[in-house]
Amino acid sequence: MLLLQFFVTGVVTGCFLILATIGFSLTRRVEGFLNIAHAELLGVSAFTTWWLNAELGVHVIVAAVVAIAFTALVGLLIARVIYDPIRARGPAVLLITSTGVAFVLGGVIDGLIGTGIRTLQIGLAHRYEVFGIRITSHQLLMVVLAAATSVSLAVFLNRTRTGLAIRAMSANPSLAASRGVNLSATSRATWLLSSSLAGIAGVMLAVVATLTTDLAFAQILQILAVAILAGLGSLYAVIVSGLLVGIAMDVSAFWIPAGYRPLVAFAVVIVVLVFRPAGLAGTRAA
Amino acid sequence: MGTNKRKWMRLFAVLFALSLVGAACGDDDSADQQDQDAEETASQPSEDAAGTDSETADETSPPTTEAAERGEVTVGVLVPLTGELGEFGAIVADAIEFGVSEINAAGGTRCGDIRTVVADTGGDAETGIREATNMIESEGAVAILGPTSGVMVPLVDLAHREEVVIMSPYAGTITLNELGGDFVYRTVSSDLGDGAASGLWLSSRGYESVAFLIQNEESTISPAEVARDEVNAAGIKITDFIVYNPGQPSYQAELTTVLANDPDAIFLAGGQESGVTVIKEAVAGGFEGEWLFTADLAVPEIFDAVGADLINDKAFVEFADVDPSLPEFISFEERYDKAGDPFAPNSFDMVTLVALALESAGGCDGAAINGTIRGVADSDGTKVSTFAEGRDVLAAGGTINYEGASGPLVFDASGTVSGAYTIQQAINGEWVNVEFYPASTFDR
Repeated sequence: MLLLQFFVTGVVTGCFLILATIGFSLTRRVEGFLNIAHAELLGVSAFTTWWLNAELGVHVIVAAVVAIAFTALVGLLIARVIYDPIRARGPAVLLITSTGVAFVLGGVIDGLIGTGIRTLQIGLAHRYEVFGIRITSHQLLMVVLAAATSVSLAVFLNRTRTGLAIRAMSANPSLAASRGVNLSATSRATWLLSSSLAGIAGVMLAVVATLTTDLAFAQILQILAVAILAGLGSLYAVIVSGLLVGIAMDVSAFWIPAGYRPLVAFAVVIVVLVFRPAGLAGTRAA
Repeated sequence: MGTNKRKWMRLFAVLFALSLVGAACGDDDSADQQDQDAEETASQPSEDAAGTDSETADETSPPTTEAAERGEVTVGVLVPLTGELGEFGAIVADAIEFGVSEINAAGGTRCGDIRTVVADTGGDAETGIREATNMIESEGAVAILGPTSGVMVPLVDLAHREEVVIMSPYAGTITLNELGGDFVYRTVSSDLGDGAASGLWLSSRGYESVAFLIQNEESTISPAEVARDEVNAAGIKITDFIVYNPGQPSYQAELTTVLANDPDAIFLAGGQESGVTVIKEAVAGGFEGEWLFTADLAVPEIFDAVGADLINDKAFVEFADVDPSLPEFISFEERYDKAGDPFAPNSFDMVTLVALALESAGGCDGAAINGTIRGVADSDGTKVSTFAEGRDVLAAGGTINYEGASGPLVFDASGTVSGAYTIQQAINGEWVNVEFYPASTFDR
């Protein structure tokens, strides 16, 4: 029973990793570089939610919606002002630049928020027990949001004109342009989408965690682990990868000290890459 | 053009001359010290540098009266005035300045009035080393007071090499338990003392089982191990001893076995970020027992962050404290309106000890202080609690035992003093004192 409890906890951890990573992988797939600043966008969303809810007294759902929209706009603004002008210089320059952007965003958040801890004005999570397995309302919300986001993203990418344009651009930008896809508009849509996904993850970070200004960026290693395991660029594999890493990390605490959870995450990545160097998605990326 | 050119040349010459004069005057404070050093160096064979340590203490700046004819002895105040620990650094700097004002008002030391040079480390070790080096080499500081743990440890080598005393009123790191003792002192107890106090409290509550949740840091693990040994010795079952990494969105995985074992109490040694999440998740997960937190959570903000109703009556916190009933502290409190600030008494004691060590020594440098500081802090001599009292006894040829505002100051082999500890309970949304362990509790 205890092992099953660890498994359930691992699923919840995996769901957060999915939310945190799926936008990162979308950017990588369409824009062609690792946007390290993605982790700080979680912080933008988390602290916007906190500011609206705890400081201004706005209901947490309204605060969350506004925070997600604001984060999407911040992500788009960064892309237009910083990444677009240097896009031709290649993914390495964009990667390094995104690291700089992460530090700037972190510094701005530090300056605006200051030191100390921040929490939302929401009640304690409710506890449910099913066959002796404990799960809280916050954990359930995490699972529901991860599932809803994944399904919605899949529908969006497969059934809408913009979604199809994003897929076309990610597969072959030149061919997509020759078939009438507006690359600039599609790029903007991608940034809005990926940043809003970071916004959703940021809201959940604010709901479950105690916020400090360095908490969001502390997630970047696990985001990278999940993205690399998925195969940089695959979106559906991110779901499998997030769950795999989350479950492996938490279930491992049944046998080995919990302090080694991050080590387990990277051990899983290394083992999988030994057998599938291109990640779980292999060469066929969605 | 020719006249203008000459004007500029004259102006340049005047500025150059002024800058030379300024440079000469700028080092005036340390000039005496440096001149003395130069004279001593000249009087001794240079290849004998390693052998001059004890001689330096005897031969530097001869004892004089009238505060060395109003000369000065420089003490560096190396504290974090910015950054996360800036609030504490300011308290320490203020308390040191208060101590210096009392010492100088009483006539100064036999080496002269104490002059302070203050530098902000921002809590950064590299900055601390640079500023400390500057204080010693440019300002002639004979002691450096106030570094935090992270800054003090890297300064140990510098202290030995330059023979300058370094003291801290709040560096509890257990690393100094090994490195301290010679030129390196602290007027606060080691973090291990927190573990002993926590263990004592946990053992006294009648618990049958206790779980330990420890943030993965040296400053929390080592005290927790001491507390665990204490609890073990009391025959209490330890259900879990879990070391976790901070910076996680959730700590459910760490809490899974803890909640399954349902201990009577959880000892939580963690920071505010992890601590608040752990408390919320544990209570949401069904934990109804008591808590013992470490000092990081001993702040009023915890009640807002966690929700006072979750911890009221059930949570306790342990931290190093001074004994408010000590006559020395009461006297300090009457003289200094910020005596209750954290580490203010420890900081006052630090500079007073340095001044008394200078008063007692034959020299006026770091080696002289190092040679006498233990003697003035702990001896069979006359008990004193201010610089003026101590100076008078020393002047009369007696020996002194300085009893500080922060408590008895008896340096152990590592240059660390024993500490007192307070236990507070969460009652109606605030921390209330429920137990005090004087330093003597741990003398065994």
